Amino acid sequence: MRNTRILGVGHYLPSRVVTNADLTKVMDTTEDWILERTGIRERRFSDGWTGGADMGAEAAKQALERAGVPARDIGCIILATLSPDIDMPASACVLQHRLGIGGMPAFDVRNQCSGFLYGLAVADKFVKTGTYDHVLLVGTEVHSTGLDLTTRGREVAVIFGDGAGAVVLGPEPDARRGILSTHLHAQGKFAEKLWLESAAARSRPRLTEEMIAGDGARIFPKMEGRYVFRHAVTRFPQVIREALDANGLAVADLSLLIPHQANLRISQMVAMGLELPEEKMFNNIDRYGNTTAGSIPIALYEALEAGRIHDGDLVCLAAFGAGFTWASALIRW
Amino acid sequence: MTSAILGVGHYLPAEVECAGVRRPIAVDPVGPSTLAMQAVTQALERAALTPDAVDFIIFATMTPDVTFPGAGCWLQRELGGRTTPALDIRAQCAGFVFGLSIADQFLRAGVYERVLVVGAEVHSSGLDYSERGAPVARLFGDGAGVVLIGKDGARPGIRSAVIHTDGRHHDRFWCEYPASRQHPVRMTVENFRQGKHFPTIDFDSVRRFGEASLPEVIRESLHAADATLEQVDRFIICHVLPEVAETAADTLGIPSARLNVPAARHGHLAAAALPVALSEEMSSGRLGPGATVCLAASGAGYAWGAAVLTL
Repeated sequence: MRNTRILGVGHYLPSRVVTNADLTKVMDTTEDWILERTGIRERRFSDGWTGGADMGAEAAKQALERAGVPARDIGCIILATLSPDIDMPASACVLQHRLGIGGMPAFDVRNQCSGFLYGLAVADKFVKTGTYDHVLLVGTEVHSTGLDLTTRGREVAVIFGDGAGAVVLGPEPDARRGILSTHLHAQGKFAEKLWLESAAARSRPRLTEEMIAGDGARIFPKMEGRYVFRHAVTRFPQVIREALDANGLAVADLSLLIPHQANLRISQMVAMGLELPEEKMFNNIDRYGNTTAGSIPIALYEALEAGRIHDGDLVCLAAFGAGFTWASALIRW
Repeated sequence: MTSAILGVGHYLPAEVECAGVRRPIAVDPVGPSTLAMQAVTQALERAALTPDAVDFIIFATMTPDVTFPGAGCWLQRELGGRTTPALDIRAQCAGFVFGLSIADQFLRAGVYERVLVVGAEVHSSGLDYSERGAPVARLFGDGAGVVLIGKDGARPGIRSAVIHTDGRHHDRFWCEYPASRQHPVRMTVENFRQGKHFPTIDFDSVRRFGEASLPEVIRESLHAADATLEQVDRFIICHVLPEVAETAADTLGIPSARLNVPAARHGHLAAAALPVALSEEMSSGRLGPGATVCLAASGAGYAWGAAVLTL
């Protein structure tokens, strides 16, 4: 069975920069408080009628160009998001429409911060089995339209940003290269530790005016920050070691770790726990905040641009987030 | 090594009269994961396995329990035990066929031994049962169906699963809000008062697309499975309009004795329709080991697909 390789990477970030200073104008917070707790200096917010599929299409075009794969040759489209353009159908349908192609399957993966890696695991298997030769995988989020940008929502609102990244995957005949393995986990008993309740099919009716506006609004994400932090710093190293162990490799073999950009403090603790030197970890959360499903492909794009990944390098991608879900992928570049 | 069908289960809530028809309707605070857990229990019983046997959950729905995390996480919580991964997918009415295809890849790649593919929906809490919304609302029902698939050298299992999407028509059958693309806020009280959070259907377009896509994708799935129309014991065809499924069967020359249209009995169960109907056929003994089934769906997206299974 053949392996899967990342043929091209693309990204798209909206042009509007929102600094910590900007946030202090709409909520009771300080620039230093945000920076110290999260490592974030600024993030991007989209405008107009820009949805995740619109940004994802731009990232996809760049990834396709770099891969040298024409859009019509895509066998399957997978879009990971927790902030879909519309309620239904999947944002992948809108993305496919934006790319001007049709016929190949297009579906969404809804696995929050681990969405890109869950999507990567699926894409990898589609290529491995020979079902499709080229899979387009997009991670994209428009958080800015779903945040409570007031003092009440500050714990969560300061963390998130908008952005999209995309990869084009194709076959790799050399079994020692490409995606070596993917590892997925979930633990639903912590679902309420980081979640967005409404609209919720389990409440009747699914939406009310009270859920949308006012003090009881339930359309904004909620997080028990310390709880998430504690689990993240345990699960990240576990799932990274799981990937290394599965391939008979060690932390010392790693060329670069690209963690989901959840919080700089989490990433630093993870590196410390693994005894991974800081230069072997890629971080860009200072500029974009947490873009959930978008963060890993955006970071991968920037790492490649910065010359941080070379032929033959061992790269680990890892994520932890809402669900809880967590995941890793090990790649021989 | 093939992906064999180890167990099938379903659950339908009690029927209630709404918008002039009787439909299976869930009650507060039941979400699709709650319905799915009932179906999983049945499937595990039939497979003589425990929840620990599940290596991977694939949950297809268009009506998740909450906005996030996905319905699969809520089901995993009920299932208990290990940190079993739970993938949530959105491919609307054809979601179950998409799920089967994904499950098949993981099994063939040797990553997991047993994969639970779930289709579950609670449509009723998101429908407009007033006179304005009744033509759409009355079409839908709530329910859940699951299939447990595992590696088995002896049994044929999934013989083909073909899937397609054409996003040009995404607004022909959709629910527009909440819409993250709307700035600065994805859902306003004004959007709510306009009823933008209810699904709408362009019936002409959806009918035409269903009548064209279903026969074509059924033929494609048979070809991929190297099976003939005559070798299939039951065609289970999912479309929001039951008459479209019947027209598709007529086009192919499928006799009514070998046709199962779940929407004709339960209303449109979307991602749940195919596994519910399959489980019903097995519960009643009409289908058993060795039987060959073709599952087909066409709907919102537009997304469509078909799979050929031998039980």
